[in-house]
Amino acid sequence: MNQSEPDLIRQLQQGEQLAFKKVVDLYQNMVYNTIISMVQNEADAEDITQEVFVQVHQSVGLFKGDAKFSTWLYRITIAKALDHEKRKKRKKRFAFVQGLFGEKGEAQHHPVEFNHPGVQLENKEKAIELFKVLQQIPDNQRIAFTLNKIEGLNNQEIAAIMNNSFYAVESLLARAKTNLKKKLKNYYLQQSDKKNSNDK
Amino acid sequence: MINDQNIDRQIEKAIDSIDGIKRAIPKPYLLTRINARLEKDVKSIWDTVALFISRPALMVLGLCLIAAINIVVILQNRSSAGNTVAEHTINTMAEEDDFSATFATIDNIENPQP
Repeated sequence: MNQSEPDLIRQLQQGEQLAFKKVVDLYQNMVYNTIISMVQNEADAEDITQEVFVQVHQSVGLFKGDAKFSTWLYRITIAKALDHEKRKKRKKRFAFVQGLFGEKGEAQHHPVEFNHPGVQLENKEKAIELFKVLQQIPDNQRIAFTLNKIEGLNNQEIAAIMNNSFYAVESLLARAKTNLKKKLKNYYLQQSDKKNSNDK
Repeated sequence: MINDQNIDRQIEKAIDSIDGIKRAIPKPYLLTRINARLEKDVKSIWDTVALFISRPALMVLGLCLIAAINIVVILQNRSSAGNTVAEHTINTMAEEDDFSATFATIDNIENPQP
């Protein structure tokens, strides 16, 4: 941010609409990219991105400037994305229970394959598989991996966002990678079993 | 073994597939949509109260409270049921006494003493 960050935040805290516009312009891609990588659905990501900026508008007064503004914004973004996932899981469970009682629950359509728009064309197929298994690892590992690999943040920045130490983030990233490899291996073994049984 | 090597290669490819990934970009006019949402999100105090009351934890607490009140009322009714029977007997006897008194009064009117 070139116009000194504290100035912009002060203007935002004073309710200046132009400052809010600047903040949205500056950070919308960062917020949207983080969210879409976590929730893996474009429409949901659009919706949560709006929620994040509404939250920023309403609670910027609470920002004291102890951390970088982007760190604060990443925290809100991640919290909103996780909230959304919880809500979605709750809805799924509710629909399942409704199904048990023979009622028609609202169909919970969850896309099977997520295609991140920023992935290079030649890597699309493999990236779809990676995003599929990324959903299966613990939240803190997934967040660290997403911030590092997709948002390109270093361990120090991730540590500030996640309120963790540098070494804790290093360990999270290592575990995330190990878990992803394990899940991918299972996935590919299943795929090859399926292929073999189809050939027979 | 060849299969294992093949799988390992596929895993590495999958892990590396997001190297050099570009940021996804939201649809245009995000600010307009956010502003529309901000206007819609101006909640009245009653909305805030309703939102607070409809919290699952608070609803469960409310239901537990209602159940507890019901149990207390039922238990109180049960313990006072025995007392009610005794009271009823006493009342009946009192009514009978009144009736005999009334009867005695009528008798006095019809047969006044000389």
